[in-house]
Amino acid sequence: MKNPYIPIAARIEKVLIETEDNNIKTFDLGILDKEAKESFSYLPGQFAEISITGKGEAPFGIASSPTEPGALKFTVNRAGGLTTALHNMEEGDIVGLRGPLGNYYPIEELEGKNLVIVSGGFAFTTLRSLTKYMLHQDNRARFNDITVIYGARSPGLLLYKDELAAWDKESGLGLHVTVDAGDEGWKGNVGFVPTITKQVAPSSKDAYVIVCGPPIMIKFTIPVLEELGFPPERIILSLEMRMKCGIGICGRCNIGNKYVCKDGPVFTLAQLNEMPDEY
Amino acid sequence: MEEKTVSKEDFFEFLAALTKDYQVFAPVKRDDCLVFAQVQPEDEICLDYHNTKRGVKEAFFPQREQLFSFNLGNGDEDITEPSFPDTKRVMFGVRPCDAKGLFLFDRVFGDKGYEDPYYLSKRANTIVIALGCSQPESTCFCIDNKGGPFATDGSDLLLVDLGDSYSVQVITEKGEELLKNEDKFRKADQNQVRLKEEIVEKARAFLKPSVNPEKAKERLDKNFDDPIWDRLHEKCLGCGICTFLCPTCHCFDILDETGGPKGERIRIWDSCMFPQFTLHASGANPRPTGKERLRQRVMHKFKYFVDNHGEIACSGCGRCIRYCPVNLDIREILGEIQGQ
Amino acid sequence: MEKVSAEIRDVARKLLEEDKVDLIIGFEKGSLPFRATPCSIRDPKEVERLIWNSGCENNLAVYIPKKKERIGIIAKGCDSRSLMGHVKEKQIEREKLVIIGVPCKGMVDRKKVDRVLDGREALEIEEKSEELILKGHDFEEVVPKGDLLPDSCKTCTHRNPTLFDFMIGDNLDENKEADEFEAINKFEARSSDERWEYFTREANKCIRCYACRNACPLCYCEECCVDNSQPQWFGKSIELTDTQVFHIMRAFHATGRCVDCGACVRACPMDVDLRFLNKKIEKDVRELYSFEAGVDIDQPPPLSTFRPDDQDEFIK
Repeated sequence: MKNPYIPIAARIEKVLIETEDNNIKTFDLGILDKEAKESFSYLPGQFAEISITGKGEAPFGIASSPTEPGALKFTVNRAGGLTTALHNMEEGDIVGLRGPLGNYYPIEELEGKNLVIVSGGFAFTTLRSLTKYMLHQDNRARFNDITVIYGARSPGLLLYKDELAAWDKESGLGLHVTVDAGDEGWKGNVGFVPTITKQVAPSSKDAYVIVCGPPIMIKFTIPVLEELGFPPERIILSLEMRMKCGIGICGRCNIGNKYVCKDGPVFTLAQLNEMPDEY
Repeated sequence: MEEKTVSKEDFFEFLAALTKDYQVFAPVKRDDCLVFAQVQPEDEICLDYHNTKRGVKEAFFPQREQLFSFNLGNGDEDITEPSFPDTKRVMFGVRPCDAKGLFLFDRVFGDKGYEDPYYLSKRANTIVIALGCSQPESTCFCIDNKGGPFATDGSDLLLVDLGDSYSVQVITEKGEELLKNEDKFRKADQNQVRLKEEIVEKARAFLKPSVNPEKAKERLDKNFDDPIWDRLHEKCLGCGICTFLCPTCHCFDILDETGGPKGERIRIWDSCMFPQFTLHASGANPRPTGKERLRQRVMHKFKYFVDNHGEIACSGCGRCIRYCPVNLDIREILGEIQGQ
Repeated sequence: MEKVSAEIRDVARKLLEEDKVDLIIGFEKGSLPFRATPCSIRDPKEVERLIWNSGCENNLAVYIPKKKERIGIIAKGCDSRSLMGHVKEKQIEREKLVIIGVPCKGMVDRKKVDRVLDGREALEIEEKSEELILKGHDFEEVVPKGDLLPDSCKTCTHRNPTLFDFMIGDNLDENKEADEFEAINKFEARSSDERWEYFTREANKCIRCYACRNACPLCYCEECCVDNSQPQWFGKSIELTDTQVFHIMRAFHATGRCVDCGACVRACPMDVDLRFLNKKIEKDVRELYSFEAGVDIDQPPPLSTFRPDDQDEFIK
């Protein structure tokens, strides 16, 4: 019987400050044990528990794509005790890792379809994973048009800026980056994500939409998507809940009879409509 | 499986002999309080009891349990994994409601995919000798929840007190194995069988059906947003008595404790009745008031667990009724819900 | 008792009918023998549910903080003192509160009943003026109520509500013989090892369910410091030092505020009795500041005020 509570050791290989307020950093983690590294096989949408002995552990969506060689990426917003401790760590430091946990975006179902990705703030992480996954040369042909709508409060709070610039040049990827309020250098869209989604008006024909963001953004984006003709079965969301064990035992992350850690975090709007409004 | 009897004298001799190879636990009085504790042959086991306040869950799922220990400051994850001792244990005098709790725990901690070795190792190494309830209490409602004063779920052997002897029902192979070479456990004669039936009947007659969980579930399937919840939680103080004393509540928190260069990751009981249970680091809380939290407790026991495991996560032991400081009675809550 | 119940109902009905309050907080019949349980009544037709007996053990003042509505509340002596505390600490405006005072000779301590019964279960309990008749499967026992009083009721010196708008029945003579601090004086005379042993024994029973805190009218903090995670001041497990620090913290936080209603002791499922901690502090506050909580609405709380002539021997 494998002990599901024991983390495996991983080295921080790189720390990248993502945002100008220094509150969001991306950590590249390399699993030390070769065998454990090989068996850590995941798909976009899954998460892992990052553990710092003495500080505890917390769940984070995996921001890297399984198609990316090397380290696992986690983009972490500094909010509580564990994330503060993590932010204070440096390249070379060792953390613990438990995972991969949870379900993933329904890749098989998305094949041959047009994909619309709508995201706001630092919830973009697992959607970065999905976008990278789909754009990978081995996978690109499996999916049709890809549209990415991504917003942040200000230009300085956008994640993965270099990649966004590179994606902008990719063929077959429609990228729409927006900010709530621009600054002097900003030449892109200004407006909230739901508004920009309405402007971009991606077709719902043969399309799935995947939404990740703060609750307020989701609340106002869903009606826009429904108006565009996306049925609830083709609106996919990834949820956040307070979690501890990550494996469906400790009992805190349920919404109705579903555990976000085990049955989720990825749900369709159709599934969520069947669940109580308690998230 | 087979029905046996054993004289009480022979049984307690047998139990005393078990202390050589097993840690034997039984209800005993310690500091004026009835508890399950490890006993030695000379200890006086309390037999005149309804149930212990704290049940047996903590022997399988302690309130505080180390998941692993670690050293700090080496610059790496210096973790010492726990070993799971194979100490063999016998628990005598477990009430069927508490054994039912273990039966339900088996579904939570033994869920395929992520088996919990801390619980499962203790469970595998423990033989549960339950003692049926010839005299249930007025707070008992096990019969309403697919159990009963002589129900067998979760036990390896079930004893019924026949006065000078015990009737012994063998429930599992583990139980059978324990009695393999015991010739003092004989086949029950007709009188004993009849006596047992009378005792069982008398106890069952005392327990009047009070709630109908199936009917309540039909309502719970639909009443998440019902205003009834505004009223039901009103007098609840939001403490953790009901959940901590409950033989089926299993929610826990995981945290690190450190002292000097060493530390440990532990899990401790947690309660859905506490606001911090679902509080996000961002400050958001999907269950912000007592209403949502009481609803979660009721829903989890009588709907969600049924949806997921086909069982009601309540064994009807009545502790939450007896010890609630404001007499918030789960039977009345269910009654109101099913009567809607 | 029936007469008192009827008078309570009359007052409650009138208050609701005349729209003087939005709800009445009182007691109704509980689900267990002799238990009364807190209830809220908003409809004058439902006032018949209200009852009064010696099983009305809860301090209903616990339900007051953060309530927006106009409330009529049934209050024993100790409850009224807690309500006075709420008014002083601005947890509710006095105008929003209609206090229906009930003089009280003391409640029945369920744990003492259990101790008398020693494992047997009472299926029926009857109250006769000064005694309780406990009936079970094959027994009937008559116990003087005096033997079943909670310790806090035994030495109560405010049987009559100190703050009220209606008074049900006549005032009772206050208990003049009781020496409130007798037990504490004896406790103080013990050696520090003995006192520590007692404290350790009691704290060791604690399961951190927080029933004591949640039953206490004083513990209305939005977030209790024991629950705070940033920084985390307390260990959260049942390690002895953690439970001890929790109980000390709670006693300190109740300094000059605790009215010794005993709600914490009655709520505890594990029979933890840390009343002596609160009582000791109460005695100190009485000696140092001549202050008794919940008796004079105009007297400011001692720890929220400063006077140049305050005792300050502790500053060396």
